[in-house]
Amino acid sequence: MQKLKILHMYPNMLDLYGDSGNMELISYRLKKRGYSSEITKYTIGDGAKTDFSSFDLIYLGGGADFEQQLLADDLLSCKDKIKKAYNEGVFMLMICGGYQLMGQYYKDSNDKKIPGLGLFDYYTVASTNKRERCIGNIVIEADIDGEKYKVIGFENHGGMTDNVKTPFGKVLFGNGNKFGSDTEGYTEKNVIATYLHGPLLSKNPKLADHIIEYCLSRGQGSPVKLPPINDELEEKCREVMFGRLLTDDKKK
Amino acid sequence: MFIVNFFTILIGKILSGVLHLLGKNAGNLPGLVLCTMRKNALKAFKIDCPIIAVTGTNGKTSVTNFISELFRQKGAKIITNPEGNNLDTGITSLLLNHCTMGGKVKADYLILETDESHVPVVYSKLKLETLVVLNFFRDQLDRNGEVETLILKVNKFCETFEGNLILNGDDPNVARLGLANPNNPNVKYFSVEKYKFATTELYEAGEGRFCPRCGTELKYDYYQYSHIGRFSCPGCGYGKNSPFVKINDIDLEKPSLTVEGEEYITAGSTIYYMYNLAAVYSAAKLYGIDRKIVHKVFEDFKVNNGRMEQFEYKGSVLTLNLAKNPVGANMTVRMINECEQDKEMLFVLNDNLADGHDVSWIWDINFSIFKNVSRVVTSGRRAYDIAVRIKCSGYDADKIVVRPDLDDAVKELFSTTGRKFAVANYTAVQPTRAALNRFIKGEAAGNAKA
Repeated sequence: MQKLKILHMYPNMLDLYGDSGNMELISYRLKKRGYSSEITKYTIGDGAKTDFSSFDLIYLGGGADFEQQLLADDLLSCKDKIKKAYNEGVFMLMICGGYQLMGQYYKDSNDKKIPGLGLFDYYTVASTNKRERCIGNIVIEADIDGEKYKVIGFENHGGMTDNVKTPFGKVLFGNGNKFGSDTEGYTEKNVIATYLHGPLLSKNPKLADHIIEYCLSRGQGSPVKLPPINDELEEKCREVMFGRLLTDDKKK
Repeated sequence: MFIVNFFTILIGKILSGVLHLLGKNAGNLPGLVLCTMRKNALKAFKIDCPIIAVTGTNGKTSVTNFISELFRQKGAKIITNPEGNNLDTGITSLLLNHCTMGGKVKADYLILETDESHVPVVYSKLKLETLVVLNFFRDQLDRNGEVETLILKVNKFCETFEGNLILNGDDPNVARLGLANPNNPNVKYFSVEKYKFATTELYEAGEGRFCPRCGTELKYDYYQYSHIGRFSCPGCGYGKNSPFVKINDIDLEKPSLTVEGEEYITAGSTIYYMYNLAAVYSAAKLYGIDRKIVHKVFEDFKVNNGRMEQFEYKGSVLTLNLAKNPVGANMTVRMINECEQDKEMLFVLNDNLADGHDVSWIWDINFSIFKNVSRVVTSGRRAYDIAVRIKCSGYDADKIVVRPDLDDAVKELFSTTGRKFAVANYTAVQPTRAALNRFIKGEAAGNAKA
């Protein structure tokens, strides 16, 4: 059976808000379909020995300002290899801090500018008032395989991201890329970058399967459609939260 | 100023009195009104006695209760907030209830559990003698911001603090506070010797893996739990401190600990319980409390407040424990595993303001180690979230029962006999206790019908 190869970057630094749960979720959903996964943990200094193009999926979670600063130089040193992997179609999933670091730059709440990898055009600036953060439940509507799908999570970010040409979703409840924004995240065929914690894939099983299907299809060169699994608890969980958040008076 | 203070107290007293007349618990409200009206409301109180404050992510309530009990046994008149109410507003309300019309607070000691973020708020206005800091873990991140932001707040306070600073020397996030004011000679560390289940690898999500001084990754000889353990920085040597109190020979079977050559029997038997006692012992030593009293308190005193609290129903024993963040929850999962027999578990998860609206922290709980757990019942406002989390750790979905209503959940849990454990987060713990007591007394509506 096919094995999905995942590169989990900086798991010891970018793992705020249960973001590492996304790795557990992908492995879980693969295992239920009889596939396996191999997760390689990337830590500072591994750049030279890492062949980024050999992976199916590259994942970065969210982190605090302090950690983002610590890893910025290391990430920059891998720029060309990561860019190559991205151009070859490796799927890139990035949450919060990971999202910010792939753009032009991130100016943090101490007014310190951290250069991004520059893979995409967007850039992020955080207010120097540490209290000014977008915090709360968030629901967006994204396009998954040509279908509209509600994606739910929790946002908690001080950074305001601008110049996003192809957002991941339309905000139904919450803030998104900036305070009161209509759009959330960034996407391309093989890219999802978002502020959604939760972790992201825990309550959005269809999104998780979409990413897995992309990776498997690319790996074997023909389309893969995953058989359904028991997502009853996930569906009930979504129902409860949508019922709470998307009543007419709260919806934007 | 005198007039302003007088009116502050007067208004507070009237408010408090009216609430009492209405039969309401005056908990937080009078303080909330006063602190809103006047930012410096706390300055209206005249306090001559020493103040001891306890802060940190986990264990504040227990340690505050323990230290209070030590002083009570000693015969001192103390004022304390045994049930939390640990923000500036809660502390203001507490003092209002115990002061004269002139604002004088009469006691031998004030022992105050204080929320981490409110340490600078409260003790910029009240003179603090001793600050006990237990640990810093990720907790309610959406309310407190990043852990680092919170530590920096307390650190800033410590920069000018000259009183006694009792610090957990095994937590790199706490020990760093000892460096904040190099002119403070009253910094004291407590430490606990490596115990039986200490590990060489980090077992659960931890904070502070990097040196707060130079950013180098910290090296650990061992981890007791989470990021608590014997750490040092290979870069700058941070982490070498000689403890004021060193707890040795932790025996979880007896259970007991040894300190300064003397063995003490303890009522609890988990590693975080032992760390709490290390903090309590440090306070006892600092204030010269008789060892006989310490023996008595360590052996007999229990904080029955949903912290390792026991319930019994028709021969089935249930242990309820509060777990409001991954570290607390992981400790509880470990404890459940240490009980070898088959057992069932109830997990109650809320997402109210005081819990933090974000429940993603449950994904930092390591459920994959579950041993002999035959069924899980979930409840609370986020009952489905915790059910999904446990399922995706590999636990059989057919063994998970979701009952968002607490009375339903308790009834479901006791539909079988045998050993039970219940875990509840912050705002869930008191409702869970109430539901358990209702059921056990046979007053639950569902139970009465059955």
